[in-house]
Amino acid sequence: MALTALLQQSLLEFVPGSLRTGGLTGANFRAVLAPQYLRYIWETIVLSVATTVLTLVAAYPVAYALARARSPRVRSLLLVLTLAPFFTGAIVRTYAWMLVLGNSFVRWPVKLLFEPSGVLIGLVHFSMPTMILILAAAISHIDPRYERAAASLGARPARVFWRVTLPLSMPGVASGCLVVLAWTFSAFPTPELLGGGRVKMVANVVKDLALDSFNWPGSAAFAAVALAVTLAVLAVISRGLARLER
Amino acid sequence: MTVRSMACWFIVVALALIPAVAVAADPIVVSIWGGNWKDTVEKIVAKPFTAKTGIPVEFEVGGTLDRLAKARVSKAAPLVDVTFTTTHVGRLYISDGLYQKLDMSKLPNAKELAKEAFRSDSHIGVWAYVYTIAYRPDLIQGDITKWADLWDPKFKGKIGLPDFDPSHIITISALLEGGDEVNWQKGQERLKRLKPNVAAFYSTDARSQDLLKTGEAPVEVMLSINGFHLMDQGVKVKLVNPTDKPGIVGIDTMGIMAGTKKADAAHQLVNFALGKDIQEQLVAAFKAGPTNLGAKVPDDLRGQPGVFTSPQEWKERAYIMNDEVRAKNLAPWKEWFNANIVAR
Repeated sequence: MALTALLQQSLLEFVPGSLRTGGLTGANFRAVLAPQYLRYIWETIVLSVATTVLTLVAAYPVAYALARARSPRVRSLLLVLTLAPFFTGAIVRTYAWMLVLGNSFVRWPVKLLFEPSGVLIGLVHFSMPTMILILAAAISHIDPRYERAAASLGARPARVFWRVTLPLSMPGVASGCLVVLAWTFSAFPTPELLGGGRVKMVANVVKDLALDSFNWPGSAAFAAVALAVTLAVLAVISRGLARLER
Repeated sequence: MTVRSMACWFIVVALALIPAVAVAADPIVVSIWGGNWKDTVEKIVAKPFTAKTGIPVEFEVGGTLDRLAKARVSKAAPLVDVTFTTTHVGRLYISDGLYQKLDMSKLPNAKELAKEAFRSDSHIGVWAYVYTIAYRPDLIQGDITKWADLWDPKFKGKIGLPDFDPSHIITISALLEGGDEVNWQKGQERLKRLKPNVAAFYSTDARSQDLLKTGEAPVEVMLSINGFHLMDQGVKVKLVNPTDKPGIVGIDTMGIMAGTKKADAAHQLVNFALGKDIQEQLVAAFKAGPTNLGAKVPDDLRGQPGVFTSPQEWKERAYIMNDEVRAKNLAPWKEWFNANIVAR
């Protein structure tokens, strides 16, 4: 029903200086398919994919340790550290990153705040706990005897990881990547605050059009286009990940 | 006393209380921004109003657009009676038929207002401020005295601008090039030259204050009220009365919702807020300009950005954009601004 309302609104004429809408038109879609708006979608895709890859790389070792650590204390500590961010809201965490990435405490050699790199750091941190939990669940389901069998046949630890652990954890990798990718596409507070208006993702532009320009039809059209692109990208990536799982 | 007589007394007392309960449960509802805005208006306007008239006042708080969206969906049976909003957003309420025409015969205090306070037949200014330059003198070298100083290369990567509404800087650029908000294209090239100096864009009052406070953007185009607020917190901030072109005035307004069943009480409240005494208190609390020219302004606020006390000051130190042009151009302005200034 909400989707129907969105599509209906996107086909109504925008009347500048008024909240009333005109008749049916395709002009909103023509407007949001301009390079300026497509660039925002492209940058969202790039940031989302980069976030997913970096989150995966950063989360995998933690997840592995969480699933395989022999000491219950270490496992508990890792679990607490992983879950801790969930106890603070996204806004609080993002404000904390603003302090870290800005010039208040540290003089960074390169500018991070209000740059894509700063937004990327915030998004990766935001996604880490979820990715860790999904990967840890997948890794803990791998029977350790497979790894021990490979090792007993002479495989070194790195080879055991590449040939046994990683392939068997691919269902978790695929699930984690899809979840992180999907929610990074719709990220709002992180790019809004860490981007300082200079880095905008799809949700920020939807808000700009709707709440700042009062262009609700244009906002609905952009949201519809972005939704279609998101679904297409997710479909392509999930097909790729499914192939990897096999 | 028998049980029957006790029951009779109980019924009599209960019936006697019903009108009082009905009156107390029928307050006037005011829509306003949250935080300090609501707290101040509640303390300075609502409570004395209730004390004087017996009419309770309740508040519905939210962002400018949240409240507008709510007003639209409840148009047939409005949930609020009086709305505080910015003057150009007030235009959107009017264009959607959400405001009723003000009955000026019920607003005797309006006779004392500056003519700039009369924004339309349906909304009226309650206080004023400007968008002007605010800066941290401890973080930059030299003084800023005029709008054109913002283009100085020494401010590379130091300026914060609002991106939720770029109309102020667009108009200033146009004014500096001999145009105005109607011929805003005249300022486009100048504004593009400002791009290297921009550190960040902000979309809320809170963010604008954060940027200045942390020094991430030690120079800002800022709402004067927010600048005063930072000064009150002990942050070293200077607010500029630009010498080349005036600050861009913002006027917050009150309107009465169409379809309200409490139009009389709503007019009473609007009139009350425009009274000299109340305006003096609002000026002191917000450090904003009064719209009632009879209101006394504290000496330390006289001549400050956004505080105008005479028709001449309104004329010389204030630039008021045409509300209708602003409301109609906001979308194309945003689009141009995003593509040419915000885009990396």
